Amino acid sequence: MKKKCLLFLLCIIAGTLTLHAQWSVGLEAGYNKNYIFTNTGFRAFTSYKPLEGFNIGIPVKYTLNNWFGIQADPQFIRKSYKMERSGYFEGIYQKNTNSYIQLPLMAHFTFGGEKIKGFFNLGGYAGYWTASHIKGTQLDAFSQSYDLPDDFQAKRALDFEPGYNYDEKYDFDKRKDRRIELGLLAGAGVSYQLKSRYELFAEGRYYRALTDQQKNYMLNQIPRYNDTFIVQVGCMYRLGK
Amino acid sequence: MNSIYLFLYKNMFQLVLGIFVISTVSSCRKELPQINQPERYITGNFSEAFEAYWNGMNNNYIFWDIDPTNWDDVYKKYKPLFAQLNINDSTDVRKSYTYFKEMTSKLVDSHYALQINSGYVKDSATYISPSDLRHQKQPGYHGNINPNFFYSTIPPKYLDPGYVKGFFNFADGSQFFAISGKIKNNILYLHFNSFKLNTVFNAATPNNAQKVLKYYFDQLKTTPNLKGLILDVRSNGGGALADLDLLVGSLTDKAYVIGATRAKGGMGRLDYTPWIPASVHPAKDAKTFTAPIVVLADLNSVSMAEMTTMALKALPANNATFVGERTWGGNGPLYGNDDVFNGGQFTTSFLKLVYTSTLMMRYKDGKIYEGIGFPPDIEVKYNKAALDAGTDPQLEKAISLIPQ
Repeated sequence: MKKKCLLFLLCIIAGTLTLHAQWSVGLEAGYNKNYIFTNTGFRAFTSYKPLEGFNIGIPVKYTLNNWFGIQADPQFIRKSYKMERSGYFEGIYQKNTNSYIQLPLMAHFTFGGEKIKGFFNLGGYAGYWTASHIKGTQLDAFSQSYDLPDDFQAKRALDFEPGYNYDEKYDFDKRKDRRIELGLLAGAGVSYQLKSRYELFAEGRYYRALTDQQKNYMLNQIPRYNDTFIVQVGCMYRLGK
Repeated sequence: MNSIYLFLYKNMFQLVLGIFVISTVSSCRKELPQINQPERYITGNFSEAFEAYWNGMNNNYIFWDIDPTNWDDVYKKYKPLFAQLNINDSTDVRKSYTYFKEMTSKLVDSHYALQINSGYVKDSATYISPSDLRHQKQPGYHGNINPNFFYSTIPPKYLDPGYVKGFFNFADGSQFFAISGKIKNNILYLHFNSFKLNTVFNAATPNNAQKVLKYYFDQLKTTPNLKGLILDVRSNGGGALADLDLLVGSLTDKAYVIGATRAKGGMGRLDYTPWIPASVHPAKDAKTFTAPIVVLADLNSVSMAEMTTMALKALPANNATFVGERTWGGNGPLYGNDDVFNGGQFTTSFLKLVYTSTLMMRYKDGKIYEGIGFPPDIEVKYNKAALDAGTDPQLEKAISLIPQ
């Protein structure tokens, strides 16, 4: 599956990259914070929290004129979140580290001077959820209690007995997990013309998933959507003459 | 900059349309449903009673991964039927009992039981147990072996003189009893009717049942030439999980894995935590017991009786043989509070208790025996005629498996 994803990525780059004066190609990397848009129903002492991730991509831009272009950023991005318990269940949690390969496609609007320019991006993206990793601590019904005095008063369940710690690959469930993600994006940033062909940029971008992470497999299902805020920097190289 | 303004001016219509399309598409997320705790519904009518129960099951039931019941179809079929019922009409309440029985008939959870909170059905049934109903339809079904057979028939017929037996009455009206003794002077035998071993063994008030357990553990430690051990959990309805380390942990000096459990990992039917290894831990000063062990279990060995059978079969010394019948098939551990593992039993105004497992268990061979039962190595069927005549073919088979 990893090989197929890589081949897919290379095809996208090869297909879009033709030597033309108005083409630019570059490298970008960023930090993100992913919020899962969902709720916990009637679960008590349970909540979802955002987690940090990163992204790395190869932006390809086709500039039509001095203020408008089309850009595609085939990229690898981590969109993670955490489910944690509170109160007496404090210490029980699970971090879901989700890896995606995605292709954002956007209209690129530029404004400003010769050296320093402002820009904003508007578009959509399609992603594929390639892998997931889970790390956490859960209560273990079979664990051996600590040797505690009779009058011991526990502040939390894990004071009585050790929890089970895990750090493992998540096996996707075909019945439940939707691995294709589609969504919208909006971003804004500044670019700096370093040399005639090199341009540095910094951007803040928001990815809003419009597809649920789960297939519609049950009635009264609580959907889960990724909301990802990224800050990234990169460098573009102008091709051609 | 002027070119931007010019562009915006010339394409005003397209821009407005674009913004409209983007805002429409961006709002294309499904709404988050409000799902209420089943206990919170005010059950003034049957529609509410059904919604409370259906949602509780939808989010709390642990076996959706392997259950043959299509819970969405249940909703589509029974929601309109319940809507036609009147919760204050005794005939309709009895009809609801039939509906609940139909809805739950294929649920794989073999601990599962519904208790209806209405005086109108008190005379007809106190609870609905799908696994009970399923087992009763099977050929060869039988009830529990009479406790008197264990308490009064087995000891004088099969145990050497000097055996001990005793019982303990709990405040809730339940009774624990145990029998232990030797067979042929070198096989140690123990039977008890429920897993309240820790409670009885550590009871502050000395009692005869406690003496039996003390005798058993003393003999296990001190008898020099034990040729074997027979642990009899037939017709044992289960009990405390903590007893596993006391009973099976006394036979090993190392912790070992017998299988794994998992809990709900979210509100979705297929949201699970990872599989967490289920281990037996050695009891204090325990030594590995290497002589043959025979565990006796039958159709009415449920829950902890099944888990104990599995745990003995999984002993690292590989010295246990299971004799008897396939067990009941209810081996998912239970907790009284559904907040602990975010799933399991719950109540509604109409249902006094929806008794259901909190965790799903799989044995070390990777199989889930819920609803199926754990199979014996050597099958010896229940034999009513033999029991009535005062003989015990299952115990006799167990004795024959321990070489002298």
